[in-house]
Amino acid sequence: MDTLNEFYHVLIFLIVAVLFTIVPIVVAYLLSPRSLGDKTNTTYECGIEPFGGAWIRYSVAYYIYALIFIAFDVDVLYLFPIALSYTKGSRMFEFYSLLIFVSLLVLAIIYAWGKGVFTWKRRIP
Amino acid sequence: MVKTIFEDIKNSIKGIEINEVSYAERGYHLAVEATKGNLLNIIGLLDKKRFYIADMCCVDYVEYLEIVYLFNNHSSLCRIKVSLKVDPERPVAPTISHIYTMAHWYEREIYEFFGVYFEGHDKLIYLFLHDGIDFYPLRKQRVPVSAEDMKLLNSFKPREEEDTFFVNLGPQHPSTHGVLRVVIKMDGEYVVSAEPVLGYLHRMHEKMAENRTYQQFLPNPARMDYPGALLFNLAHVAAVEKLCGIEVPERAQYIRTITCELNRVASHLLWIGAFLADLGGLTPFLYAFDDRENILDILEAVTGSRLTYCYFRFGGLYNDVDDNFVSETKKFVKRMRERFIMYEKLITKNVIFINRVKGIGTIKQDMVPKYGFSGPTIRSTGIPFDMRTHEPYAAYDKIDFEIPTGTVGDNMDRYTVRLSEMAICLDIIEKAIAKLPSGPINADKVPKKLKPPKGDIYHAVESTRGETGVYIVSDESDKPYRMRWRVPSFSNLMTFPALAKGSLLADAIATMGSFDLVIPEIDR
Amino acid sequence: MGKGGFHLETKDPIIKFAVLDKILNLAKANSLWPMTFGLACCAIEMMSTAMARFDIDRFGAGIFRATPRQSDLMIVSGTVTKKMAPILVTLYEQMPGPKWVIAMGNCAISGGPFAFEGQYNLVEGVDLLVPVDVYVPGCPPRPEGLLEGLMKLEEKITGSRRFPTPEQKW
Repeated sequence: MDTLNEFYHVLIFLIVAVLFTIVPIVVAYLLSPRSLGDKTNTTYECGIEPFGGAWIRYSVAYYIYALIFIAFDVDVLYLFPIALSYTKGSRMFEFYSLLIFVSLLVLAIIYAWGKGVFTWKRRIP
Repeated sequence: MVKTIFEDIKNSIKGIEINEVSYAERGYHLAVEATKGNLLNIIGLLDKKRFYIADMCCVDYVEYLEIVYLFNNHSSLCRIKVSLKVDPERPVAPTISHIYTMAHWYEREIYEFFGVYFEGHDKLIYLFLHDGIDFYPLRKQRVPVSAEDMKLLNSFKPREEEDTFFVNLGPQHPSTHGVLRVVIKMDGEYVVSAEPVLGYLHRMHEKMAENRTYQQFLPNPARMDYPGALLFNLAHVAAVEKLCGIEVPERAQYIRTITCELNRVASHLLWIGAFLADLGGLTPFLYAFDDRENILDILEAVTGSRLTYCYFRFGGLYNDVDDNFVSETKKFVKRMRERFIMYEKLITKNVIFINRVKGIGTIKQDMVPKYGFSGPTIRSTGIPFDMRTHEPYAAYDKIDFEIPTGTVGDNMDRYTVRLSEMAICLDIIEKAIAKLPSGPINADKVPKKLKPPKGDIYHAVESTRGETGVYIVSDESDKPYRMRWRVPSFSNLMTFPALAKGSLLADAIATMGSFDLVIPEIDR
Repeated sequence: MGKGGFHLETKDPIIKFAVLDKILNLAKANSLWPMTFGLACCAIEMMSTAMARFDIDRFGAGIFRATPRQSDLMIVSGTVTKKMAPILVTLYEQMPGPKWVIAMGNCAISGGPFAFEGQYNLVEGVDLLVPVDVYVPGCPPRPEGLLEGLMKLEEKITGSRRFPTPEQKW
């Protein structure tokens, strides 16, 4: 049961985080006047009715950005426990393992850079 | 040059009516009367000789409608007026938009204001007016729009395709250009086509001019181009003075020059702030407006207003300047020169700015005669075309100054041209103040009710955005019969769809910002 | 243009009592966020008001939002033409309540210098389209005029004026 004591802090953190988002919404719902017009809930497009729908086919360059984002998001999962246990053991081991990990990721970015994922050239028709 | 063109036109096209007219009275050198048969031949000949269309308008003389084309040359001054008479019952004329791309929009405008149908034009839809108007506004009598014309005018329906979608860069947007709407067809992040829709600020200036006397119309030009209001005021006043033959005294000419150059600096400062705000840098806005407030203080003490000046009168000025004005202006010139160093460090040497702006929106050399852009836009392509030296007016022929040009015609060049222009404006102001003569500021014997002689005149001035021209047709009464304004932003905007094609959206907005558009002068 | 202008149904908040109203009105008046609705020449004077000399940010109103969803004050500065009128009404309806409108300049008040006989494209005054709270006359009004209009609007919201009225000298 001793080990569970530390998790009380996490529980309080979780509750405060949820309240932080919900309380302003509830307060605004209770205290605000409402005004509804004909066009209040339409999409904002500089005052004009939008042409056509919003679900369109888009180019594959966005997909590549999403892939790179996912890869880096997942490696943050590895970095969190390393950051917590950084000062607990002998520091050299953590430092070198972190260095190798991050340099492998940087290699991925350099490859993407060389392949031209980050430059969007002007397309002349 | 005029003689050679005269001989060339007379010899190439048989049976053509061409006359030489007095430039001092009319503002143009040659008058050509075209017919529907030989219009395209004349236009093709002028195109081969590298003339550009300065203006294209229509005048409603009740028995006939006259379409007027005014041509000019970039390298030497030779203004040619080509006029075509059409029948008022069912007016039809051939289109010239396949020869000159800029005529595309001018013909749309004439169609919706006068009802002249242009054969061969592919897109005669509404440009300025909206779909509640059922008559042609600028005709002298109320002529209703026929049903088939109404259908043609309303036929703007964007077609949806599978890979693209439409975005409205609508009339209300955070950049400070004004109410311009651009319908952009996008493929991902790239712009496939950009179609401006104008007319959200159409304030009927040309119709008002026909209902007001010349003096009553004086406040209007300032509302057309509010950052550079004095220059539009000057265009109006100088055109009417030329028509009536009024001589303006020297002191008034020098003061007109000084105040116009101060206004030009103020307008370019506003542009710097707005351009950087478009790119995302909000800091230079505050610095630019700080300098601009200094100029506004100086001009307010003399003219009485901060933004929409109405300082010039027919024959001179409203108010004389005093020593306070001269000393304040000298102080301002000294201060502004030091501020340029600050702008260099803040903006011009900024790496992010250079990367956003260099190499983007490049105008190719073969676009120059087809589109009629003027002002800093044409100077950025390397052609030193400036109305102040091309066709001098006020005191500009007595002051030497140089004309800055760019090389490539991209956004960076337009920025550098405007920055150099500001420095040159300060030079002009210094030289003009040194030479300021004393004397009267108003011509004597200007009649209270101004009734110009019969005829037409075209007079152009270099405003902050380019060539601003006034074409007045007078019929000896105290109200103009037709007053047509040739505004530079209209022809500058025509290049935007061609430059935006294929670029990223952020670059397209930067290009639009670099043209320095002011929408009320487009919509008039 | 359509018949009339906007169409709005308003409801009071669920919790409402006097002291809370007073506090909330103070908060609303001192943090009005304008929407950039600059149409014509008055827009430049509005921009001057937001700049360093006539700073409107010291009254809390300095954050000009471009989108109506995050603003509560619409400063109509410039001429409203018939082509622009439906767009103005749409943007007004898209603003969430509570919302206020300042009509800045002669054109927004009653058509200004462009209302002549035979005009075909002008809406003579923005109060034909949306309800206006404060009118600021001038062509264009000085930035101090717009600030005085803002003071009047704050007085309308809270009931008391932030600075004393300058004394009338004539």
